[in-house]
Amino acid sequence: MADIRLEVPGENAVLEVLYDGTELYQQPPSMSENLTQLARKIDFATDGEEVTTEEKKEEEEEEEKQPFQQPHWPLEEVRNKVRQALTEVSVLHDLLMIVKQKPHQYMVLDPVQAEAPEPKGIHTVPLPEEEPAIGGLHPPHRRPNRPVQDFHIELLRLRQNWRLKKVGNTIIGDLSYRSAGSMFRQTGIFEVSKADDVTGPSSLVGASGAASPLSPMANRAPQSSLRVNVPTELTGSAYIFVCIKKDEEDICSAQLTSSDFVAGETPWQQKLEKAQNVLFCKELFNQLAREAVKLTPSIPHLVVGNQITATIFPGIHLLVGLCHSDSKNSGPKGGTLQGSAAGGGGPAVAGGGTGGTTVGSTTTGGGLMGPSKYKHEHDLEHSLHQLLHRVYHNSFQHPLPHPVYASMGMSKRRRAAGLEGMDRNQLLNMMREQTLLEQIIRQVQHNFLRLRTMYVIDQLAAEFKDPLIVSHWNAFNSPTQSCVKINIVTQGYDSALRTKLVIHIFERTLKCICRDGKIMTMSFEPQELRNLILCQISQHNMAALQGLAKYTGWTVLSSEQNIGTGTIEPLGNASTVMLASPSGNKVIGVHSGPHQRVSVFVSSSPRPDFYPSTVVSEQRWEHLGSVWQEVRHDRMEGRNFLNKMELLMAALTA
Amino acid sequence: MGVTVLQIFPDSSRSGCLETEKLHKRIMHLDAVQCGMFTVDCDTCYTVTQTGNNRKLHIVHNSETPTTTYAILDTGTKQITLSADYLFDLLLPRLDFMYQSKKNLKIESKGAKYEIGDFVVKIGTVTMSGHYKAILVEVEYLPCHTPALCWSLMREFMQSFMGSCVKPTLPSYLQNRLHDIHTPQDTVQQYVEKFNEIREGTTFAGTQTTGSGS
Repeated sequence: MADIRLEVPGENAVLEVLYDGTELYQQPPSMSENLTQLARKIDFATDGEEVTTEEKKEEEEEEEKQPFQQPHWPLEEVRNKVRQALTEVSVLHDLLMIVKQKPHQYMVLDPVQAEAPEPKGIHTVPLPEEEPAIGGLHPPHRRPNRPVQDFHIELLRLRQNWRLKKVGNTIIGDLSYRSAGSMFRQTGIFEVSKADDVTGPSSLVGASGAASPLSPMANRAPQSSLRVNVPTELTGSAYIFVCIKKDEEDICSAQLTSSDFVAGETPWQQKLEKAQNVLFCKELFNQLAREAVKLTPSIPHLVVGNQITATIFPGIHLLVGLCHSDSKNSGPKGGTLQGSAAGGGGPAVAGGGTGGTTVGSTTTGGGLMGPSKYKHEHDLEHSLHQLLHRVYHNSFQHPLPHPVYASMGMSKRRRAAGLEGMDRNQLLNMMREQTLLEQIIRQVQHNFLRLRTMYVIDQLAAEFKDPLIVSHWNAFNSPTQSCVKINIVTQGYDSALRTKLVIHIFERTLKCICRDGKIMTMSFEPQELRNLILCQISQHNMAALQGLAKYTGWTVLSSEQNIGTGTIEPLGNASTVMLASPSGNKVIGVHSGPHQRVSVFVSSSPRPDFYPSTVVSEQRWEHLGSVWQEVRHDRMEGRNFLNKMELLMAALTA
Repeated sequence: MGVTVLQIFPDSSRSGCLETEKLHKRIMHLDAVQCGMFTVDCDTCYTVTQTGNNRKLHIVHNSETPTTTYAILDTGTKQITLSADYLFDLLLPRLDFMYQSKKNLKIESKGAKYEIGDFVVKIGTVTMSGHYKAILVEVEYLPCHTPALCWSLMREFMQSFMGSCVKPTLPSYLQNRLHDIHTPQDTVQQYVEKFNEIREGTTFAGTQTTGSGS
């Protein structure tokens, strides 16, 4: 209630006392001044004043036009209060409107300044009592940059992405992949708690005195009011390291470690994601290690510490390692020389708060602490992840259609097994699935073989310029099969002949389909492919020469793919072609082998001119072969072999 | 799955184990490798209702095809084979208003399994509700699927260790299916045929054995 004193003070207030003792009194207030003074004392904010404020509102409207005329405008305070009351009423009205709206909505009242006009009690207005569906949530909040986020809102957002349940007074979450089909026994339980002490992270900054100047800025990031506690074995970050290495060093020398630290206080989302990733990597590695022990290939797989070594080709090994670093202790486990160096830089990074990531990336640069000659194969790591995800997927997804009377989880073939009367061996074969390790080894083998094939072809293309070797790789391939098409052409004479061959690359074998339809299967040894292409080059030269002869009018006397005479080729057979000039008095013989140079011989009739006599009536009787002379065609003009031969033919015909 | 031929090995001594020992010894001389055991069992159900013809339903399990239950409906003139998943066994109790099994007719052949190259030989002793009945030898030739193409080879092989009890002519069951592709159902039907023969044989010569058959 407003309290209005009605008594007028007996004396006027003393305004000033002069040196001589006289007092100057304040003039008594006029009627209007008195009213203003009294009205100022009315507190319109308290209840029961609505009627008066509504009445007064109208008259105040007019005076609003000159708002800042004088600082002590008589009824300013009254007007302000009335206006404030109006604002509150209209806010309340808005609120009620939203509440009554049919598609239920959330309204979030955010404190804008230190003191809010809204009542303090309301934080969230959960309209429907039952939990709203995640999709139907439209928070119409204008979210200003607030230092402290609301615990409940954060919990709500946490619930949208993670599985939570309440046990007693604690909120427990699960970040394992069990609901997605994982069979890993390690649990991924984390605890959600309210972050009561906001000073927590700042004290962390204070503790690590050598914090970088970045840290205060990092501290300005919105402070989460929610804290997640993940189990210690899942803290830090992890990844699966995959590389292919050669045989030169002893196999288990390298100790893989990592120093990819997580900053001490990260947002919970990031923290949970990292922990889940750690769990995933652990499961993947566990699975691989189990399979590596169980499988019995001819060369057994090695599982030592956090590494699996599998031999994919003689002398070539696949190395799969689990790199896990926890942010707690500075030294990554099994630290090597480099690892300990990175460990020294560890605390500074951890102290840097969220801003520390930039620092971290500069100090720990490499991430992998093993010798840098091991190249991490990102695509293979990705394939591994994909394989495990596929296992998850298959454990829950059964191919449709699925008869209702069949028991769950049976494959289509298994369902038909009883009806078809499959015997024991067939059933066993059906049950046998390729393990992850086998699959990744096959992929690695293919990957390696593809790169090696690419290298061999490129080497040959660089080595041989005379017939050009052009290779086209199929951009689309499966993880275990790819295809390359090779064109052998002579520059400028590609209309004469193109030798084409297609090579399919599998895991351990190459299948080459030649132009004449011959199919050759080769092993992973690069020399075999090299020999094949060399043979193809030699055959290409011979065939192209015959094509050229057709254009120039020379006659092919004979052509032999596999000639038995002459020096023995180390591999494959030499081939020869004999060409006769249009007039028949000149013969060119060409001999070519996969590993020999092309050699060209010329023989011409002993007499260039011919005079018919009674005995020898035609010139062709004069065409007796004479001595073969070798042409040193490497000294000849011309860009390539066919060009030289063309020039040679031209010279001999003239 | 190749072609299978069944042969009852005559057992004059009626002891069972002596003759199987003999067969075992003979087949081991042929460099056979013993690889496990096998069982084929057969339950027979009769129609409950007395109206109309009397039909039999043989429920057969073969350990070689562990996920299959064979149900052979025998109308006397014709045999209809159904091969179903082993869940069919759970379905059978629901059919007891139609078919009722007679426990003492359960007959099974049990024994050792041998491999000789492409041949699989199973020497089984047939017991009916616990009583020894006969010796039944199953010979399977894996690479071939039609009986016509491999009968002579199989006959020669069978004669090599079973002697003259192997007739030079094909068993009547295969005679009708000389050029068909041999399926697991054919094997089971042959078993049922032989089992029926053994059952009837005991009733016929009931004086020699206990005569437990109906």
